Amino acid sequence: MKIQENLRETARKLLAGGEASLVIGYAPGSEVSRVVPAFISREEEVNRLVWNPLCINNLAKYLLDYRYEPGKVAVVVKGCDSRAIIRLLQDNQIIREKVIILGIPCSGLINPDLVAARLDPGAQITAATVSKQDFSLQTGEGTFTFTRDEALLEKCRDCEHHTPVIADFMLGEEIPPNDPGDPFIAVKTLEELPVEERSAYWDKQFSRCLRCYACRNVCPACTCRECVFDQAEPCWVAKANNLSENTAFHLIRAFHVAGRCVDCGECDRVCPVNIPLSLLNRKILKDIKDLFNVPTPGTSLEELPPLGTFTNSDPDEFM
Amino acid sequence: MKAYTITRDNLGAWLDALARDYTLIAPVREEETVSLFKPVSGFAEINLGYTNSTVSPKGWLFPQTEEMFFFSTGDGQITLADAQTPGPAVLFGLRPCDIKGILVLDPVFNGAYQDCYYQKRRQNTILVGLSCTRVERHCFCTSMGGGPTDGGGADLLLTEMDGGYGLEALTSRGEELIHRYQDYFIPDRDNRVTAAREELGKKLAGQFTRAVDTTGVKEFLDENFELPYWGELARRCLGCGICTYICPTCHCFDIFDQSPDGESGVRSRCWDSCMFSHFTRMAGGHNPRPTKKERVRNRFLHKLKYHRDRYNLDGCVGCGRCVTRCPVNIDIRQIIADLQEVARHE
Ligand code: SF4
Ligand code: SF4
Ligand code: SF4
Ligand code: SF4
Ligand code: SF4
Repeated sequence: MKIQENLRETARKLLAGGEASLVIGYAPGSEVSRVVPAFISREEEVNRLVWNPLCINNLAKYLLDYRYEPGKVAVVVKGCDSRAIIRLLQDNQIIREKVIILGIPCSGLINPDLVAARLDPGAQITAATVSKQDFSLQTGEGTFTFTRDEALLEKCRDCEHHTPVIADFMLGEEIPPNDPGDPFIAVKTLEELPVEERSAYWDKQFSRCLRCYACRNVCPACTCRECVFDQAEPCWVAKANNLSENTAFHLIRAFHVAGRCVDCGECDRVCPVNIPLSLLNRKILKDIKDLFNVPTPGTSLEELPPLGTFTNSDPDEFM
Repeated sequence: MKAYTITRDNLGAWLDALARDYTLIAPVREEETVSLFKPVSGFAEINLGYTNSTVSPKGWLFPQTEEMFFFSTGDGQITLADAQTPGPAVLFGLRPCDIKGILVLDPVFNGAYQDCYYQKRRQNTILVGLSCTRVERHCFCTSMGGGPTDGGGADLLLTEMDGGYGLEALTSRGEELIHRYQDYFIPDRDNRVTAAREELGKKLAGQFTRAVDTTGVKEFLDENFELPYWGELARRCLGCGICTYICPTCHCFDIFDQSPDGESGVRSRCWDSCMFSHFTRMAGGHNPRPTKKERVRNRFLHKLKYHRDRYNLDGCVGCGRCVTRCPVNIDIRQIIADLQEVARHE
């Protein structure tokens, strides 16, 4: 709980001193397994802020909503989310001087469905501890323990940066970088299938896409003022929901975020019909790593996105 | 009301027969946590063990994309041709909340203004309900005037019971369907089916994790359009349309033409969502619902007030889908409770 206390204390100071006009963090949701993005602008409210292994949403994208407001906005980020901040900075979507980054070294998140299955929905988490072996959630009704093997989120198994890559305040002890092994196993397995099977696989996935665009709306790489999918004239992708238009949507989006996808896993999480978007985006991430020998986008402020930079050593003869 | 029983084996055989004679739309398990209503070719594809499909079955009566008519121009003439309308269909395995969802859509498409597309599909479709056997974490139909064994609105209601299923014909259309396949059914002489259903209903009533009280919420909203609450709530909304697309009662649509050669093509309509920023944007660029606040407010006013104003029906049936899938936990049950709280302090 040390991190949670630090977080509340830091938020209190920032708001009291007028240094920040808003703190974006996490607060308890409508049931025990859910945590919600919280927007705190008054000192008295900082005790609503929580940090526990259910804090899954990437809050960086909300910075876009406040970029034209006066005052500075403080935002809570985990390691994965912090890459999104760098991305937004590199594209000049947000201005460094206007954000205060509250970094949380994160040792992994818990699958909310397991929590929902085991805890009374009305319970409140009073404290949480994470160890190398398990997660413990304390509630009024006792302590509930989940082993990491059963409960750790898949994206956290592959996590590269437990400690945020950028922060103004680090609210806990840094966790050294992790060697998750090969994060591309699932991509490689799919790559090895014959083309017909791969095609059938994606057809089955894309055909149930609702085109709700949650994957886009949550994505920190999607920041266009006018999105291609919202354009009526010219109509790049028709509103009609069918396999052909849905496929066009997915391929265009995957290419639009290529080299800028920070692998935060949010698109995967939000999809209401469980389309494995991480597989698609990670395929491109893998190709870009192979081709340009670059780290995951958003890892360093100096390293620009490979597809967004020009160098004289570019081997393409056409240039 | 007539009741029948059917054995498990006969249920399978009956569904196979239905799939031969009608377009049969039934719940299918797409993968681990996704079930959808789809046309099926027989019993083997159907999954009756689901509680609540991921997307509501409204899409059969009001498809996400629906062709309205074809057009072509030539010699200065415009020729129109009707799009195909589907023939007789059976929408099978509807949970009570989803049947109620159809009753909520009826006055929109089939009330003062007759929507020929919806009307044709509705007329051609027999609704077979299926009592729930389990209550999911986010179900709250009982708070919205429904119940897990309340099949009102269906033509037939199927309920799992000892040794098979009980089937109650709720309309003459349901009765005719039974009659057509009478060999599969045994008339229920001593009211066992209704008794079993009522008992199941009692058992399930205790399983709801959260109830909400809507008393006074509409009246409060009648008087209070501007509430700081909406602005606070909307801050976290992503403006994705998940909640509206999976909901059994949301029904906004957009109309568009597709014409590859500019001379002939098709006019279709497709689902749209009041949660999208473009939804109310006018041709000149003005947007009367410019921010998330106005959009979130509209959605909940539609559910809790406007639909009641227009049709005297709640716009929400308590299926809980939006609660399950909203990525930022915007929970209509919580909102109803919050509005009660706000009302107390006004
Ligand atoms: S979130 Fe899922 S259903 Fe929605 S548009 Fe993206 S892939 Fe399609
Ligand atoms: S594409 Fe998905 S994983 Fe990549 S940045 Fe966007 S939301 Fe995150
Ligand atoms: S309420 Fe939730 S599901 Fe609906 S648009 Fe907002 S974020 Fe998306
Ligand atoms: S508003 Fe939500 S709970 Fe109500 S009917 Fe729609 S999806 Fe179901
Ligand atoms: S909301 Fe009620 S009717 Fe609908 S699935 Fe849940 S228990 Fe069944």
